[in-house]
Amino acid sequence: MQADVAVIGSGPAGLVAAIEASRSGAKNVLLLEREEELGGILKQCIHNGFGLEQFKKDYTGPEYAERLIEDLGKTGVRCFLNTMVTAISADRTITAVNSQNGVFQIEAKSVVLAMGCRERARGSIGIPGTRPAGVLTAGTAQRLVNIEGYLPGKEVVILGSGDIGLIMARRLTLEGARVKGVYEIMNYPGGLKRNIVQCLNDFNIPLYLSHTVTEIRGRERVEGVVVSKVDEKMQPIGGSDKFIQCDTLLLSVGLIPENELSKGAGIELSRTTNGPVTAETMETSVPGIFSCGNVSTVFDLVDYVAQTGMSAGRNAAGFAAGAWKENGGAVEVVAGENVRVVFPQRYCFRDDLTLYIRPARPVEKPVALSIAPVDISVKRLYARPNEMIRVKVSREKLEKVTGPIEVSITER
Amino acid sequence: MDIEKKHFTCVTCPVGCEVDVELRDGSIVSIKGNKCDKVKEFVLQELKEPMRVLTTTVRIEGARWAMLPVRTDKSIPKRLFLQAIGELASIDLQAPVHISDVIKRDIAGSGANIVATRTMKRRSEAGRARQRNDASAG
Repeated sequence: MQADVAVIGSGPAGLVAAIEASRSGAKNVLLLEREEELGGILKQCIHNGFGLEQFKKDYTGPEYAERLIEDLGKTGVRCFLNTMVTAISADRTITAVNSQNGVFQIEAKSVVLAMGCRERARGSIGIPGTRPAGVLTAGTAQRLVNIEGYLPGKEVVILGSGDIGLIMARRLTLEGARVKGVYEIMNYPGGLKRNIVQCLNDFNIPLYLSHTVTEIRGRERVEGVVVSKVDEKMQPIGGSDKFIQCDTLLLSVGLIPENELSKGAGIELSRTTNGPVTAETMETSVPGIFSCGNVSTVFDLVDYVAQTGMSAGRNAAGFAAGAWKENGGAVEVVAGENVRVVFPQRYCFRDDLTLYIRPARPVEKPVALSIAPVDISVKRLYARPNEMIRVKVSREKLEKVTGPIEVSITER
Repeated sequence: MDIEKKHFTCVTCPVGCEVDVELRDGSIVSIKGNKCDKVKEFVLQELKEPMRVLTTTVRIEGARWAMLPVRTDKSIPKRLFLQAIGELASIDLQAPVHISDVIKRDIAGSGANIVATRTMKRRSEAGRARQRNDASAG
């Protein structure tokens, strides 16, 4: 089978990339999805707050997905559902399997990776204790409650204050469970402020910062957890432990970009984002393979995911059409003072550069975000690790740059 | 009259100012900690009646999935949330449902309607659509 552009994954990034590739003139666009429906994780995110920037609407996840699927229907994109991609090669041959075609191959002129993330589970954070039923990730609980109609427990403790955990604290409360508290190992919350207010404060659910779960108890089913305060090195403080009775422990302790396919294709991965090292065009280190959305780096907002999908789709169509000269040269984009993540990591002088920056430490004072060696400084009222900062730099401003571009955040 | 003190986190914008408000007879005497003027409107509304959009699910028969996601079509008083959820528990709903279909009018007497936030086909139609792989989206 042949394709101009093959997109892997049909969450927000993949849907937008497929639509944009088609709108940019690619004739034969394929969208490969392992589930039986398009939309990815949007289908279970039934809360609102999606598409505020892209559509100027306050959609819920399913509404946002349906809007994109409607747009996709107006293009000639062909969708393969229930189709699992098992390998991609550096020459852009995709191996996939489904129950109709069996194992089959697609030779694609360009490929867009949009596989998203999976959740960090108990094994990744190593909580001591027994292994009873009732320990699950926040996203699994979200699927059980919102799609399959099961309540995973009645008395719940949540470890980690990421957005999915906060959203689930509210959701479980509305469904009649008692959420006894959200425990966060860092000394600042992981999720957005509006979620702290509308998911915890609105329902009098306490948030304990600098706390973690140090033991899980129960044989068949969770009977409770031990929580402890932690010091500034995130080590439990002796004598601060407390037993909390509960039947369920939800984990909202981070996301891992799903890059097994990328590794197989020999794509260079970043050790800070765990996603492909990407240029402003969303091209990875392997020519003609692009990546977008949460498989690249974990974004906070679907609007940012969609924007990277748009760029990947447009450029993948350009590459497939052969309208793509060799990269003239590239410079690295690097994280300086108080920056944990900067995305993309490479600049190839093709497009304007839209930077996504995650601060390393919270600063509740006015800060300046500076981009060296070009003379750009952006003022902000604060910097918080849970809110990515987006800055666009035009191509003209970067034309003469020869060395690395360094992004840093300092108090002003 | 005594001065009453209250704390709010303004969620009008992502800055999320933490503000301390002093009240006398329910009227604002002072607001501290805000970086802009929009906070006053937010605090007044929170004092009068906190309004929120409710998003939840309703059990549905005859569809591929057990639950249909729904929302209120406008903000409703937060205090009506549990009453609204209670009213939705006894709804008898059959697939198919189209996105934006009204599932319940005037939920909890709020004047807002509960609407579907996705399309759900009847199970047999959904099954056929699944088998028709390689078709365009929809």
